Amino acid sequence: MTSTATNATVRRRRSFSPKDRLTLTAFVGIPTAFHILLVWVPAIGTIGLSFTFWTGIHISDIKWAGLQNYNNIFTGTPVFWDAIWHNVIWLVWFGLIATPLGILLAYQIDRQIKGHRFYESAFFVPVVLSLAVTGIIWNFMLQPGGFVQGMLGRDIGNPISIYGNYDINTYVILGIASWRHIGYIMLLYLSGLKSVDSSLKEASAIDGATEWQTFRKVILPTMKPVNIIIIVITVIDSLRAFDIVYMIYGSSTGWPILGILVFQNISGGGMSMKGAAYAVILFVLCIGPMITYLKQSFAEDVK
Amino acid sequence: MMSEQNNGISRRSVLKGAAVGGIGLAAGGSLLASCGSKDVGPMMWGGRGLEESSVQWHEAVKTAFETATGNTVTLNMNDAGAFQDNLSQYLQGTPDDGFDWMAGYRMQFYSDQGLLEDVSSVWDSIGDQFAESYKIASTGSDGKQYFLPTSWYPWGLHYRKSTMTELGLDPENIANWDDFMKMLEATKKKGLIGYALGDKGGWEAMGTFDILNARINGYQFHVDLLAGKEKWTDAKVAEVFKYFEMMIPYMNKNVLDISWEGMRDLLLQKKCGAMLMGSWFSGDFKTLSQADYDDLWIVPFPEINPTHGRDTIDAPIDGLCVAANGANPEGGKALVEWLASAEGMQARLDSGNTFTSANKGQDTSSYDPFQNQQLAVMGEAKYITQFLDRDTRQDFANPVVAPAIQNFLRAPKDITKILEGVQAQWDALPAL
Repeated sequence: MTSTATNATVRRRRSFSPKDRLTLTAFVGIPTAFHILLVWVPAIGTIGLSFTFWTGIHISDIKWAGLQNYNNIFTGTPVFWDAIWHNVIWLVWFGLIATPLGILLAYQIDRQIKGHRFYESAFFVPVVLSLAVTGIIWNFMLQPGGFVQGMLGRDIGNPISIYGNYDINTYVILGIASWRHIGYIMLLYLSGLKSVDSSLKEASAIDGATEWQTFRKVILPTMKPVNIIIIVITVIDSLRAFDIVYMIYGSSTGWPILGILVFQNISGGGMSMKGAAYAVILFVLCIGPMITYLKQSFAEDVK
Repeated sequence: MMSEQNNGISRRSVLKGAAVGGIGLAAGGSLLASCGSKDVGPMMWGGRGLEESSVQWHEAVKTAFETATGNTVTLNMNDAGAFQDNLSQYLQGTPDDGFDWMAGYRMQFYSDQGLLEDVSSVWDSIGDQFAESYKIASTGSDGKQYFLPTSWYPWGLHYRKSTMTELGLDPENIANWDDFMKMLEATKKKGLIGYALGDKGGWEAMGTFDILNARINGYQFHVDLLAGKEKWTDAKVAEVFKYFEMMIPYMNKNVLDISWEGMRDLLLQKKCGAMLMGSWFSGDFKTLSQADYDDLWIVPFPEINPTHGRDTIDAPIDGLCVAANGANPEGGKALVEWLASAEGMQARLDSGNTFTSANKGQDTSSYDPFQNQQLAVMGEAKYITQFLDRDTRQDFANPVVAPAIQNFLRAPKDITKILEGVQAQWDALPAL
């Protein structure tokens, strides 16, 4: 099989006309050039910047700082650990609650339970909204003088503390994020489920498998590629979380998270190197899941 | 700082600890030599603040400038917080020729980077209209001027006269801390918030820290602390937070939920007794109604330590800079010269703006009682500071002090640990 494929490839490549070569070079070369220029150059620049002291304006002002920015972050910035903690809670919440709920929902809708069309559209609606818009909506709903507080008869002089109450605000933020994430996962999983051969399900039913056994032993393994993509998306979305928190708390550290620290340090003046260091930390945390994700997508393409 | 509608006309201001004397009411404001005859082409003006009151005076002044000089100005209003966050990028891109900004340290950072146009020639032309201390606040580290002051405002106790009358209180006669506590207690008993505070943005409560530190430990200690010459672990700083903590029972219970707009609304809707804030928000009262504006008053924060009395106040200076990368720097200079002159400021005051002019030649006869009271409150102080996030390093104020005060408001009992953390982070900062 493999050798035939290779031979076929080789034969085809030999028959490329100069025009084909030109076309291919353009099709591969131009996007690659842009990709390197717009992704790799800034990425490597950011990594380099994180090892310097620099105000971010004149190249000539750059001073080598070695690991000092990282040392400062790990040992001298308590808010960094608060941010990591929030990212971890976010990840655990998405991994154990939001994502499984999305999968469950997709499974139920795929079984065409009563009213499945309604549920499908209801959970799908938040996915249409960007995370920033989601943040604006929920800020408006829950802030002092907002819709929910108004419904509860609380005016601004007698409000319920929500975003500023550290006993609950983490769960409120995660609830808001899940509001969109569950629908997103549902959508991804549903499209995967649609492609599962229904004869598999019938066969397992005939063999006397329970609903749960069918799901675990038949559906889940068949859906492996989708599962991996969902896991990766869950991890990356948890780590790069920014929009919702920014819309609610702004660039202050009202509810610190890594993405906000990157932004807070790079905007304003003079601390871009520390922001770059936060970005590198974020990048290192994301790269594992990203590589897995890419491997999986390539494997898909080859099939 | 940030989209979240933080920001406003704003907390601008600044200058590192330079003491600014009160504005003398010098007789006979010399009006600006005509720059109307000069053809300096169309220019752009970047304004900060999207509140109705802010947009209104910017447009009025733009029109007045165009009428007076025959030039054409394009006015671009920006969200104040976003503008501040993006200033570096803005100045390196295609900035407006003249733009609203802050004096002192905030200006110097950008002039040091060569992003601001030297406006010494404008100072040669209208410099005699400003107090010497304002010139110091407008001067970059190379000795040239990069800033033109336009207005300044006090951080004091704001309240509604009608509310205080109903409560039977007279904030103008608070002699000391005990009286102040009694006032808060009396307000609370009537079901109102004694001392409204918001700190969602992380900077709002710095005003309360500034004034408590100045009242308890004095101007010099405050300035030295922000310059790193004193330690945050000093018992004197812990003392400040002890007083701060005494005020917490009288605050709204959602301090970390609201930003300065939330504070303003509490006062607007008569939900609180008093609050410490910069007077810039008074324009929003006026936008709502003249009656609400007439009801607004300001007094200095009360004395705590008799040694220092009420000798210090945060009174930030706002003004204008010219961008070095603007399309028309000469036009920008002509613009800021006119805007900062007594004539330009008169146009701004005539539009109903509630700020007070930084121009010593300003005719103050048109000032309303609230503007005169702002001047009196600032004039009473011997030392003028700007504001914590303007009086110290940028990589310290917002990233370190802001979360520290927020953490204190969450858990006041952790203050020792919090202050140790602040000092450790100061010590870890790279040398400038």
